[in-house]
Amino acid sequence: MYGMAVTVGSDGRVIRPAILIRIARGPAFWWLVVPAVVFFIIFFLVPTASLFALAFNKPATGVIDLSAALSIDNFIRIFTRSIYYEAIFRSIGIASLVCIVGLLLGYPLAYVIAKTSNPGRNALLMVLVLSSMQLDMVIRLYGLMVLLGDNGLINSTLLDLGLIKAPLPLMYNIFGVVVGLVQITLPFMILSLIGSITSIHPSLEEAARSLGASRARAFFSVVFPMSMPGILAGTLIVFSLAMSSYVVPALMGGWKVLVMPIHIYQQVAETGRWQFGAAIAVVLFVSGLLAITLYHLAAMRAAGGRS
Amino acid sequence: MRGESAIPFAFRVISWLTLAILLIPVVIVILAGLNSGDYLTFPPQGLSLRWVVAFLTSETFLPAFGTSLLIALITTLISTIIGTMAALVLSRARGRIVNALRVLFILPIVLPGIVVGLALYVFYISTDVGLARTMAGLIIGHVIVTCPFVIATVTAVLVGFDRSLEEAARSLGASPFTAFRLVTLKVISSSISAGAIFAFIISFGQFEVTLFLSGPNLQTLPITMYTALRYSFEPTAAAAGIFAIFLVVAATVTTSRITDLKRIFGR
Repeated sequence: MYGMAVTVGSDGRVIRPAILIRIARGPAFWWLVVPAVVFFIIFFLVPTASLFALAFNKPATGVIDLSAALSIDNFIRIFTRSIYYEAIFRSIGIASLVCIVGLLLGYPLAYVIAKTSNPGRNALLMVLVLSSMQLDMVIRLYGLMVLLGDNGLINSTLLDLGLIKAPLPLMYNIFGVVVGLVQITLPFMILSLIGSITSIHPSLEEAARSLGASRARAFFSVVFPMSMPGILAGTLIVFSLAMSSYVVPALMGGWKVLVMPIHIYQQVAETGRWQFGAAIAVVLFVSGLLAITLYHLAAMRAAGGRS
Repeated sequence: MRGESAIPFAFRVISWLTLAILLIPVVIVILAGLNSGDYLTFPPQGLSLRWVVAFLTSETFLPAFGTSLLIALITTLISTIIGTMAALVLSRARGRIVNALRVLFILPIVLPGIVVGLALYVFYISTDVGLARTMAGLIIGHVIVTCPFVIATVTAVLVGFDRSLEEAARSLGASPFTAFRLVTLKVISSSISAGAIFAFIISFGQFEVTLFLSGPNLQTLPITMYTALRYSFEPTAAAAGIFAIFLVVAATVTTSRITDLKRIFGR
């Protein structure tokens, strides 16, 4: 189309007027984005906005339509009844614990993968981590429940060996929920860390060693601080995944560990209080966002203070 | 080799522990599905295809597997097409609107899945469009949460794409469409496949978004397994899990062959 405007210079190279290059580079295909935008506005933005608006309606059991009469009754209820506001702290506490455990377990494996130079071994480790990330959560939870249940593999083996008299409480409590969430979120932590550990040039660590630093010293004063971006990204992803999970607390906690997503489901599906369920959804979203922002600010400050 | 020997001993030990935490649940599901007894004991009582046969003749698990597969395939098709189209624009255009669109396409993965599902369910019921508890309604939910992954995967490659290649084709007389088809599409085709496989896997294993959108006549495999797990550890569910595990591992191996995974995840 623009071909006729192309001129060939004396040295045979193609010379193209700047204006044509700008047209070619510019968003000539802008309409390609329209289907996705329309789809996301109708089926994501509008529904989410109206759900959040519904949270500001007075609770009316079984009524789902938006009304113009706004109220903050739902939020007052959440922040004055211990069963609800404790769930906020429980959700944040569990998610933070999952981040710490996930970092302690995930960092060494990410380091090993980043430092493994054998391509076959490296690919095998990557496929193992990725497969376990992409495998259906409920399937993995099935495996964990068979392992940790009162009649599960661990308890029945220990009972048979006579090491314990009664089954250990490994599931249907906070311990079980944390184990489940760590299992589910570990691959995300590992994948975030691999990238930033790989990008640290090995000569930096070697330089520290040659200047007399011990291996541990070289690691903690060179590698670990330099992998901070990966640690930050990994913990942020793991935190939001852990905070918003419904299926893990439901199965591993047996409805005894009341976190916010469990409350949302119960309010909506079991008691039909849509407005109140919507209000908990708003609080879940905002408290997650707030916790992440505070964490991010603190991390930025720590990083700024060091340099 | 020298680099590998520099890995501290403690790191090696914890790495094995971490790998065990990642893999043991999967191994247990496979053993439970191939076990000959009514429940899994350690050591297993013996291998049999009893539960695999039970799955293949099951009136709950087999149809659920089929439903999940069908939903994942349709979701993948829609997400890949509209996601790739969007990525082509997002990677090239600049400006405030484009930045706003980037946020729009990331939001569905930032928002908890249960909230996305609930919002759509409330929307379907209050607007009375007849999508509540239908397959079309569920697929829409899955497209919303899988499309961001297609967009991210394709954009990652397009950002590093040298556009002078396409311009060279154009200057040699190719029409914009031909230049796009022969040059750009060829370069990004592997990342489109990778994005499509991610979309498929995420849709196939999706639980949280599905929770509110499924119904008594619309049961996916994760929902059916979840319902079964509430009451007992049915080995038929584990047998169904074996088939899902093979599907996912095959898909992951395919992705790692066609793309450089570290390039996609290592940012």
